[in-house]
Amino acid sequence: MTALAILIALAPLAGPVAALAGARARLAALAQAAGAAVALGCAVALLARLDGHPPLQAWDGFLYVDPLSGFFLLTVAGVTLLAALGSVSYITAQEDSGELTSFQVRLYYTFFGLFATLMLASLETGNLGLLFVLIEGSTLASAALVGLEGRARSLEAAWKYVIISSLGVTIALAGTLFLFYSASALHPGSNLALTWPYLVTHAAALAPQSLRLAFLLAVVGYGTKVGLAPMHTWLPDAHAEAPSPASAMLSAALLNTGMYAIIRFLAIAHARLGPTYPRAVLLSFGFASIVIGALFMVRKGNFKRLFAYSSVEHMGIIAVALGFGGVLGLYGALLQVLNHALAKTVLFLSSGDVSLRYKTREAAQVSGLLAAVPVTGGALLLATFAVLGSPPFGVFLAELTIVRAGFAAGSPAFPLLLLALLGVAFFAFARTTTAMVTGSPPEPVPVSPDRDRAAAAVTAAPLVLGLAALLVLGLWIPAGLDSVLRQSAAVIG
Amino acid sequence: MQSLSSSSTAGVLLDLSGAVMLLLAFACLASKLFDRYVTYYGAQSVVLSFAAATAAVAFHSTELWILAALTLAIKGIAIPFAARRVLVRRLALKRDAAMSTGLTTSLIAGGALTAFAYLVTRPALLPHGTAAAAVVPLSTAVILLGALTMVVRRHTVAQLIGWLIVENGVFLGAITLVATFPFIVEAGIFLDIVAGVLIMVVFVSGLTRQLAGASAGELRELRG
Repeated sequence: MTALAILIALAPLAGPVAALAGARARLAALAQAAGAAVALGCAVALLARLDGHPPLQAWDGFLYVDPLSGFFLLTVAGVTLLAALGSVSYITAQEDSGELTSFQVRLYYTFFGLFATLMLASLETGNLGLLFVLIEGSTLASAALVGLEGRARSLEAAWKYVIISSLGVTIALAGTLFLFYSASALHPGSNLALTWPYLVTHAAALAPQSLRLAFLLAVVGYGTKVGLAPMHTWLPDAHAEAPSPASAMLSAALLNTGMYAIIRFLAIAHARLGPTYPRAVLLSFGFASIVIGALFMVRKGNFKRLFAYSSVEHMGIIAVALGFGGVLGLYGALLQVLNHALAKTVLFLSSGDVSLRYKTREAAQVSGLLAAVPVTGGALLLATFAVLGSPPFGVFLAELTIVRAGFAAGSPAFPLLLLALLGVAFFAFARTTTAMVTGSPPEPVPVSPDRDRAAAAVTAAPLVLGLAALLVLGLWIPAGLDSVLRQSAAVIG
Repeated sequence: MQSLSSSSTAGVLLDLSGAVMLLLAFACLASKLFDRYVTYYGAQSVVLSFAAATAAVAFHSTELWILAALTLAIKGIAIPFAARRVLVRRLALKRDAAMSTGLTTSLIAGGALTAFAYLVTRPALLPHGTAAAAVVPLSTAVILLGALTMVVRRHTVAQLIGWLIVENGVFLGAITLVATFPFIVEAGIFLDIVAGVLIMVVFVSGLTRQLAGASAGELRELRG
């Protein structure tokens, strides 16, 4: 099992190896996709072995995998696979058209693989100090992707991203220090005392005052990486400036990794402080994010910024669901993590194809997608409705579960407010994307650079795969996944 | 975990170091010359290194000795040297004009944040009479002042120095609050690597903007 866990984290390095060995864009992309597929396969195998067994633990807790980490591994590895498949056509087209030099392409795959590896590794460690190091490491790797295009705008976005996230993660380090301080009564001294399983089992001996501060600092610190308002300001810029498959990685993998770190702190806080205090913190940041996300979606403009604000909104929904708590709330939160990741990946990948053809990222200049490029247009439309929570897609099921959890948690005001905000977000988002999809395409009809049938199939593959998974999750949750979700919810409390 | 009394020699020295670091953070906030930012940051790091050595003696900790040596070598010497050579000289930076509030306003805000730091950390959180109870409010104030520097200044070099000051504050808190924190050396080394990368990013983006002929003062293309 240990070997399996290590393989998950190392498999995405296939892309960087190929790129550094001098492979051209298409070959490096295929190596990247193969690595991601191996990681996904191993994650499924690992989850199957963990089912009903004690968590995998090795090296003083530096390696620790339980169903909760397994679930996030599955999500991140799945997103990495889809984004790597999406990179095949996007980056190759960029290289062919001369937008990216071959050096930039090599950089892209080097940092793409490194980014995925660091995120997967951070999900596999039980040591909260190492978690901090790996999450900050993934910031640096992904900042290189944001600034890849090397224009003043992308460098500005990369700077904003890296400095705000570094500040956030430094605050999370302060949170980790206070968490360790709250364990003073246990006389900790070794690395074992900084591991999550140790702290959860000894939660009763933690000092509540400093634990409160530790949880708040962790939510603010890691929440910066999650994009919770008001720490979200880097997010729209970074998502808009990164190459589209990298935006998908940011939105669907990186934000979830940050959320995973918050969930680990939540479990400790919940075990010692009970539900009231964590709920107050998470509901405040969650609703702030939903409001900010929904309001900024009303603005028309760059469609990648629109998707980015939708990520802010969805991370808010997940935080609210964690705040509602209970088995139902936690189950809904995790279901939302997976479904949002799939839907947002499809959206960003199709936006990449749109910007390749229309040579713009402004929503107002795009129309008639369904007529001009039926597959991408169709995927964009379906993913729009999926991400906004229309049946029969998985997000609908997840959001329904979250609202039910809200009613079960007591006051009906919060779930009703959530429903109202979801309504606002629906109209704001759909207003822009439906205008892009419908209507008649501009003259002359934008064509993609050079496309044969095989290339078209490669472009369509991740979109179709993602949508199919979303549809399946909306209609039926496989027994294995259901069991993983239940066990993960039990881990949190 | 052993705790240090505030009236012991080590406790007094730590308290004094914290106070000097806070003053240097204020000096940085009030300064308008890029050269000075780097000087103040370097001095603050040297004081931090002294504090870490004091804690190392008090707690008989090898790790803290390593931390003290690394802090002196990297934060006290290497980073200020690199920042001066690569950023201030190479990008020909002199006066920092890109501020979002006036100097007086930001100093008053800094004073308010210092008071706030005492307000949140003093009661109930820390046992009375320990060195931590004296130093942690100071380190919290240093963190907040660093963050304030990042907020009121728009220039990337000033923001970088602000972040480095935040980091110094976190480590000052760490060595007094949890001297046995097992990951402290690793975290310190790692954050130094991050600092190196940040200096590189500032350099590259500064150079790009210089080449593009745009004004180097402000980054404001992306909004909303």
